Amino acid sequence: MQAIGLNLTGISHRYASAYAVADVDLQVRPGELVALLGPSGCGKTTLLRIVAGLIRQTEGNVIIGDRIVDSLPTHERGAGIVFQNYALFPHMTVAANIGYGLRAAGVGKAQISAMVERMLALVKLEAMAGRYPRELSGGQQQRVALARTLAVSPKILLLDEPFGALDKNLRLDMQIEVKRLQRELGITTVMVTHDQEEALSMADRIAVMNKGCVEQFGTPEEVYDQPETLFVAGFVGTSNLLPGTLATIAAAGPTVALAGGGTLVLPSARPCSVPGPVVLSLRPEHLRFARADEPGVDATLQLSLPLGALTVHELALGNGQAVKVIAPRTGEAARHAPGDQVRLALTAGAAPAVFLGNPDAA
Amino acid sequence: MSTAQSYLRQWQLMLPLALFFCVFIFLPLLLLAYISLHNDMEFKQAGIAQYIKFLGDSFNLGVLGQTLWLATKTMLLALLLGYPLAYFFTLAPPRWQRVLILIIVLPLLTSAVVRTFAWVVILGRQGIVNSVLLNLAWIEAPIKLLYTPGAVVVALAQIEMPLMVLPIINALSKQNPYLREASLSLGAGRWRTLFLVTLPLSLPGVLAGALLVFAAAASAFVTQTLVGGGQLMFMPFYIYQQAIQSNNYPFAAAIAMVLLVAVLVVVTLVNFAGRSIKGVAHA
Repeated sequence: MQAIGLNLTGISHRYASAYAVADVDLQVRPGELVALLGPSGCGKTTLLRIVAGLIRQTEGNVIIGDRIVDSLPTHERGAGIVFQNYALFPHMTVAANIGYGLRAAGVGKAQISAMVERMLALVKLEAMAGRYPRELSGGQQQRVALARTLAVSPKILLLDEPFGALDKNLRLDMQIEVKRLQRELGITTVMVTHDQEEALSMADRIAVMNKGCVEQFGTPEEVYDQPETLFVAGFVGTSNLLPGTLATIAAAGPTVALAGGGTLVLPSARPCSVPGPVVLSLRPEHLRFARADEPGVDATLQLSLPLGALTVHELALGNGQAVKVIAPRTGEAARHAPGDQVRLALTAGAAPAVFLGNPDAA
Repeated sequence: MSTAQSYLRQWQLMLPLALFFCVFIFLPLLLLAYISLHNDMEFKQAGIAQYIKFLGDSFNLGVLGQTLWLATKTMLLALLLGYPLAYFFTLAPPRWQRVLILIIVLPLLTSAVVRTFAWVVILGRQGIVNSVLLNLAWIEAPIKLLYTPGAVVVALAQIEMPLMVLPIINALSKQNPYLREASLSLGAGRWRTLFLVTLPLSLPGVLAGALLVFAAAASAFVTQTLVGGGQLMFMPFYIYQQAIQSNNYPFAAAIAMVLLVAVLVVVTLVNFAGRSIKGVAHA
C-alpha cells in the first residue's frame, strides 16, 4: 500500500465565540505516526474530528495526499477512525463488524470474507469471528475496532485516545500491537492522547497542543530534550520549573541566579537568552547530588523514594520550593538522609531549557 | 445492605400502586370476567353461552377483525410518520429539542374529545380539507372524508403519535452516537448508516411504541365513534351499545374479554417476534 501524507493548513475552529482550534498547521509525512498530545480541552480531539470530516472547520484546509477534502463528507474521505469506546456495532458479530465497511462499499461476499479472514489473522482473533462485541474483553474489542477500520484500507488512520479504556498492562500490549500493525502496513496515522508516555513511546513525531494551538511539533527526543515553550517543558515529562534571573557572565557563560537561592551555570541559554527574569526547566535527571565544596544550589532533602535502580528525591530549596531529583541508588546521594542539607549541581551534559516569564504560565 | 433487604424495601415501595391496581384494575377485571360467564341477563345461570354467541356469529368476528385491522393500520401509519420525527428530534440541537418535545407531547396534554372534534372539523363536508380542495378547484363537490375507515386511521395515528414517538426517541438517544460516526467513517453513507445501524438498534423502541399505539388504537372509543360514525362498528362501541343501550351486560362483558384477550395475544406475539431478533434485545 502506498502511504499518503496528510497536510493541515491554517485550521481554525470556533465553537460559538471560543476557538477550539486556532490556526494549526501540521504536515504528516506518508507512513508516519503523529501523536496529538495535550491536556483535555486543548483541541486535539476537535482537530482529529476535523480530519475525519465529522466536524467542518471554520477556516483552513485538510489535504489528504494532494487532494483538498474539505467539501467531502466523512464517508468519502478515506480517513478511518478508531474511537476511544471502540463503537463496535453491538448487533453484529465480530466478522460482520469487520466486513461492514466493505459491505457498505458493495464489495462481493467472497471478497469480504477473504478480507475479514485476513484482518482477523492480522489482529489474532481468528477464533472470535462469530462472537458478539459484548462477549469480548476490552483488548479484544479494541483489536476488532482496529481490524474493522483497517479492512477498508483507509488512506489515513485516526486513533482517538485508543488506549484510554484499557488497564495498564493491557495498554502496553496494545500499544506495541498497534505500533507493529502501523509499521507493517506503513499507514499514515494520527493519534490523539493526553498520556505523554504513550505519545513519547509510540509516535514518530509529537504535536504538543495547548489552548487550540500547536506549541511544538517534533520528534519525542526534541520535545523532551529541547522544549520550545514553558508549557511543553511542564507537560511533557517531569520538570522542575524554577524562577530566577538570567545573566551572561563572559568567562562562565549563561548563569541563572535562582529565586530559591544559589546559582547554576548553564552550557547554553535556550530558547530564551535575554538577560532578566526567567524560568529554568530542570528535568529531575538534570540535577545530581554534589560534594559540599562544588558550586551549586543548597537544598534540604525531604523524602527519598527508591524505584529499583533509580531513586527519586524530593528536596526543598532555600525558599521552600520543591525540587525533584532522580539519581542512581548508589553514589553521592546514598550518603544523605531526609533532613540533611545537600548541594545540588547540574549533571554532566545536562542542558536545561530557559524560558521568559513566570512558572505559573505553564 | 443485603440484596434481600434492599429487595424488601423495593417491594414496600411498590405497595401503594399494587393496592391501587388490585382494587381498581384487577378486581373490576375479575368482575367483568365473572359477569361474562353468565348465560342470562339476570346473572342466574352460569355458563359460556355469551362466548359461544360471540364467536359463532360472523358479524361479531367481523367487528373484531375490523378493530384489530384498524389498530394495525394506525400503528403502521404512526410508525411511518413517527420514526422520521423521532430521528429528526435526536439530531436537532438542544434548543430545538425543547420546542419539538413540546409539540410532540402536546396531543397528550389535550383531551381526546377535543382532539377528535378537531378532526371532525377538519374532515367534515364543510371542513378545512374540503374547502381548500374546492377553492383550488381540484374537486367539484365535497368528498366524503369523515366517517370513513381512512379518516379513523389518520385521526388515531395523530392522536396516539406521542405513544409511538417517545419510546423511539428514548431508544435513539440512548444509542452511542459514535456508532453512527463509525459507520460514516467506514464509508457508509447516511441512508446506509440509518438502515444498517441506527434503525436496527432502535428496534426495541419501535416495538414498544408500536405495541402502545396498537393497544391504544384498538380501544379508542371516542375517536373511533366520532370520526368513524355510526356506520363503522368497532369493538369499544359494540361493548357500549350492548351494555348501555341493550342492557345486555353479560354479552358486553364477553365482548370486552374477547377484545382484551385478542389485544394481549397480538402484543405477546409481536413482542416475542421482536425479542427473537438476534442481538437487538441486548443492544
